[in-house]
Amino acid sequence: MNFALSEDHEFLRDSAAKFVDERVDLSPLLRPGADVSAAGYDQLWDKIVELGWSAIAVPEVYGGLGMSYIDLVMIIGETGRTLAPSPLFGTLAGAWAIEKAGSEAQKMAYLPKLAEGLKLALAVADESGSYDNMATDVAATKAGDRYRLSGTKSFVVDAASADKIIVSALVEGRKDFFLVDAETAGVEIEVLPWRDITRQVCKLVLKEVEAERLEQSSDQVWPWVRDRLYLVLAAESASGIRAVLDDAVSYAKQRIAFGRPIGAFQAIKHQLANIAGAAEGANAMVQYAAWALSEGDSRSSLAAAMAQSYASDQYKEASHRNIQVYGAIGFTWEMKNHLYYKRARCNAELLGSPASQREQVVRFLEQEAA
Amino acid sequence: MDFNLPGEDDPRRVKVRSWFEKNPNPTYAQLAAQGWTASNWPEPWGVSADAEMQWIIDEEIQRAGLELPYTINAIGLNQCGQSLLTHGTEAQRQKFLPPALACEEIWCMLFSEPSGGSDLGGLRTTAKLEGDHYIVNGHKIWTSVADHASVGVLVARTDTSKPKHTGLSMFLIDMHSPGITVNPIIDLTGNKNEYNEVFLDNVKVPADALLGREGDGWKLAIEQLQTERVGMTKPGVVWGMGPTARDLMDGLIKTGRISDPLLRDDAAKTYIEGEILRLLTYRNMSNRMNGKPAGFEGSAGKMLSSPHGQRMADIAKRSQGAAGMIRDPDVLPLPDKKWGMFSDWDYAYWFSPANTLGVGTQEVLLNVVAERVLGLPRDIDPTAKIPFSELSGGRAKAAE
Repeated sequence: MNFALSEDHEFLRDSAAKFVDERVDLSPLLRPGADVSAAGYDQLWDKIVELGWSAIAVPEVYGGLGMSYIDLVMIIGETGRTLAPSPLFGTLAGAWAIEKAGSEAQKMAYLPKLAEGLKLALAVADESGSYDNMATDVAATKAGDRYRLSGTKSFVVDAASADKIIVSALVEGRKDFFLVDAETAGVEIEVLPWRDITRQVCKLVLKEVEAERLEQSSDQVWPWVRDRLYLVLAAESASGIRAVLDDAVSYAKQRIAFGRPIGAFQAIKHQLANIAGAAEGANAMVQYAAWALSEGDSRSSLAAAMAQSYASDQYKEASHRNIQVYGAIGFTWEMKNHLYYKRARCNAELLGSPASQREQVVRFLEQEAA
Repeated sequence: MDFNLPGEDDPRRVKVRSWFEKNPNPTYAQLAAQGWTASNWPEPWGVSADAEMQWIIDEEIQRAGLELPYTINAIGLNQCGQSLLTHGTEAQRQKFLPPALACEEIWCMLFSEPSGGSDLGGLRTTAKLEGDHYIVNGHKIWTSVADHASVGVLVARTDTSKPKHTGLSMFLIDMHSPGITVNPIIDLTGNKNEYNEVFLDNVKVPADALLGREGDGWKLAIEQLQTERVGMTKPGVVWGMGPTARDLMDGLIKTGRISDPLLRDDAAKTYIEGEILRLLTYRNMSNRMNGKPAGFEGSAGKMLSSPHGQRMADIAKRSQGAAGMIRDPDVLPLPDKKWGMFSDWDYAYWFSPANTLGVGTQEVLLNVVAERVLGLPRDIDPTAKIPFSELSGGRAKAAE
């Protein structure tokens, strides 16, 4: 039993922190009317690829760095803390879908390109935001040794900048995974006015689009990928809690009212102390989930759902408290408080609500007890 | 990073378990002779167990059907006993520690007073040196186990000319001394007498019962309260002790009550909180094993654990409905383990308001976290810098 981060983990985290602190600039988003197009969405990417982050969790045989999920959350913690806009989330999602659903040849064909900057996205949810496995949102029909996909997906993160998109589609009563080239005829991508303008979220309309089936597709693919995406969102949220806490604490030390820094008032202190507890708890749970997924622990799926549920719920609360501590100035577009508030809220819905993850927790425990 | 706990076949565990097989139904004196009642203490009292070894020993003690020594003699083995290792004299260690470790002499903590518990620094009980002994006068309250304790760890004011925190000293007193009256307090559970009030009327305390030096009282008390809070960072229902959210979930699943949609989500929330507390316990253990100073986990743990226990006990009660409002019906099954007084959900529930009162109220703990961890400005205590004897109102009068 050892809870401590290794020196390698700490080094990775510290160098990631240095990178994002130097490079991430959210100020263009703080002009009223700004949307995700102002986020400098592609500017970080080249450097992120250079650092190897997009291929960090890809096994070495497929040209990745083959590092653990603990390493991954060291990086995601830093991109999450600074709301760094980039197509990292979509690329990780697509890469995991290929890793789990692709044949050996397909993995050899696509995964090594991540190190060269290949951008991916994963389209699973339908237009209502449901990840229900058997929805007929996109249908696949066989055409020779290829397939053609038609239908609509939504809430596809990073689709508009992706080179290739992995799409789940109904075929012969199964939900299989297909690889679509974003440039192919019949692919229409619309960037949605997603409230979190540090993240690009899109709708995808496919009309008779030629696609390649991922040959190891099964009903195990989505739960496997989803657990990893839970970890990514939870790691973002856990570090986001710490970020809004530190921000509110520093404001509470400076802002004077009634002759004292507002941080001297217990009404403020108690809110901040409670957030500090949540930050500690979320951080511990994320590290545990990262370890469990890295080890293939029998409770890894439970751990991922617990981490996502707890961290996103607490991030919602903490980012709201952050605005409250600032007072009315925190309610303006020109302050960055709202970027965190929106990231938190959207993280808590993107892959289903915290309550839906708690339902998964209970079902897991019921099965474990049976 | 590795979250695996020592397994069933761990050689350290096998060794401990084989001792229990050879010594069925051991006394606590026998356990103390093995160094297992405070295994993390250095020899000769403990076995210098690291956190994993302590974990193993505690699990094996429970497996043998025994209550853990430090829940029986919490003050002697957890909060205060350790102070003797660093601040006590050799004579004090030899006198007090062996019977404490054998759970033959139970200790109690004479800290809180009617005038204030969380504001411990304002206490009024006095100890005046007269020749080779002190004369103690005062009134303590909320003293757990004082009714059967042999040793009292007393904080009293030895110098009223100094500000409130600096004039305090700590003593180890004989609870059977003349002048000590212990009255049980019937708390709102009505079940058992957990708490007592203690009157000290011209109690003669030998001068060598002083722990450390005169004026060390505040420093020692804070150290002990911090140890106590770290010990409370566990997922049990009352101050980290007793059944956990895992046990609650087990019970809800076995009884089928988990299918109640009005309960299900709250039960899951509580389960997750319980797992977080478990992780913070592991992080604590891990920090100790890695020789890192105790971090924020102690204060955070108590801060999270107290309301968590209240929510957990509430869910247990809600699952029982009106049937749970009858005294002592332990409707939910609990695994066979000895948790002392919190072995049933009914008592745990009615006791649980104390979760956010004991060892300082939740509000004071939140202040501590905000000030010491987050570095927010200290609260104003207009009485902090003034000599205690010059304080206005009842405080100064009572001290003189």
